Amino acid sequence: MRVNTVEILPSLFITILILFLLEVLSTSVLPLFGLVNYMIPFNVLIILFLGFKIESPYLAIMILCVQYAHSIFTIEGWEMGTIAGVLICIVISYLRDLLHFSSNLLTIVTTQLFQFLWFLVTSSLLYLKLGDFGYIIQKFWRFLPESIVLSLLAPFFFSFLDKVWRVRGEGLMAE
Amino acid sequence: MKMMLDEGSRLKTIINIIVLSAALYGVTTRNVDVREATIFESLLMDTLAPLQRGVSSIHDRVVSAVDHYILNVQASKENIQLKRDVDELRNQLFSMNQITKENERLKKLLRFGENIKRKKILAQIVGWDASSDFRVLRINKGASDGIKLQSTVVTSQGVVGYIYRMTDHFADILTILDPINRVDVLIDRTRSNGILEGFSGWKCLMKYVTRTDPVKLNDMVVTSGLGNIYPKGLKVGLVSKVERESYGITQYIEVEPSVDFSKLEEVVVLVADNDSKKRLEWKALDDSEAD
Repeated sequence: MRVNTVEILPSLFITILILFLLEVLSTSVLPLFGLVNYMIPFNVLIILFLGFKIESPYLAIMILCVQYAHSIFTIEGWEMGTIAGVLICIVISYLRDLLHFSSNLLTIVTTQLFQFLWFLVTSSLLYLKLGDFGYIIQKFWRFLPESIVLSLLAPFFFSFLDKVWRVRGEGLMAE
Repeated sequence: MKMMLDEGSRLKTIINIIVLSAALYGVTTRNVDVREATIFESLLMDTLAPLQRGVSSIHDRVVSAVDHYILNVQASKENIQLKRDVDELRNQLFSMNQITKENERLKKLLRFGENIKRKKILAQIVGWDASSDFRVLRINKGASDGIKLQSTVVTSQGVVGYIYRMTDHFADILTILDPINRVDVLIDRTRSNGILEGFSGWKCLMKYVTRTDPVKLNDMVVTSGLGNIYPKGLKVGLVSKVERESYGITQYIEVEPSVDFSKLEEVVVLVADNDSKKRLEWKALDDSEAD
């Protein structure tokens, strides 16, 4: 959906508030149940939604804002996620006509595929920085369950964000 | 129309390039040892961290309500009053027990490292890092309580980590479980020196120990005092796995931290007084390297 610049700000603000709420819950509730090794990266889901459904020249800045909000809750910082997010959105812009959201299953599969791409980009950057392949393998075993949970949440989460961004429910990512 | 689209895509390309360049610059220049929070980050962290603490306390209250009240809903009318009395007494007893246990824990924490000449600040854990790639804890004390960056964080069981980022009222601890936290350590029995790094789950790796050093299972690992962050002789953990090949220079050593991170509630932050002096020393070293 093509979005006017004026419409972006309120929707982005609400999206960041939603991210704050989800981050607060996942960082303080999950550890209470002993789930410390796994965290649900809702920022990834939000960035994939923006890439899939929003067509705007300011997409990179929106990704940066989401990642900056995420960095309040993690020492990961905003940089790596921003690089991954922008690169993935460039890939999505080329594949836009091939991708459809006509059913929940398609949404889940598409989200999972792009999460793999996200993993590849961030892992490559981490490998360049750390030079340790063992760490990437450890990261992969954590990524698998986390990404599956995110993909399963994607249909509900996207339909909720559709309302926030006033995306029409035709199920297509392109206009 | 086509011109407008071209302009849009050109603008998009320019913004993409600027954001990617800024992010790449950020990644390459990022300081892995410590990170100063910006004013905006401090403001957001100070606003959002109380919410994290709030969620934890709501959870505790709900669990307490379920444990102590909901189970009694089905009690008969004759016993209601008696059960209420018993519950009330039990609650009081439970609270007293909790207070006694907390008191014991805190006393133990404060007694820990009595001979370490550093200011001790008690703090509670309010949340974990939002990314599973990092093992970072958030505590409810910050700069206004006297905490400084790179202060050591311990419990009575041993080393937890150090202060990586902080605001006025909250601070993030980079635990020894995190792969980017490197601690200079010694095997207590053999005095073999090595570097401890976070590895996987709840384990750490001790690297660069010479293959000929006779390290055994259950050997105690302690901090060496090198590196200017951790005081010497703090308990870190026990050797849980040793692999020695017939080739190579070093051996593979896994260490199980003595701190049970899954049950961590309170920690002690050890704040060094001579921080400014140390900073000046580091600055002088950096300057001499730059020359």
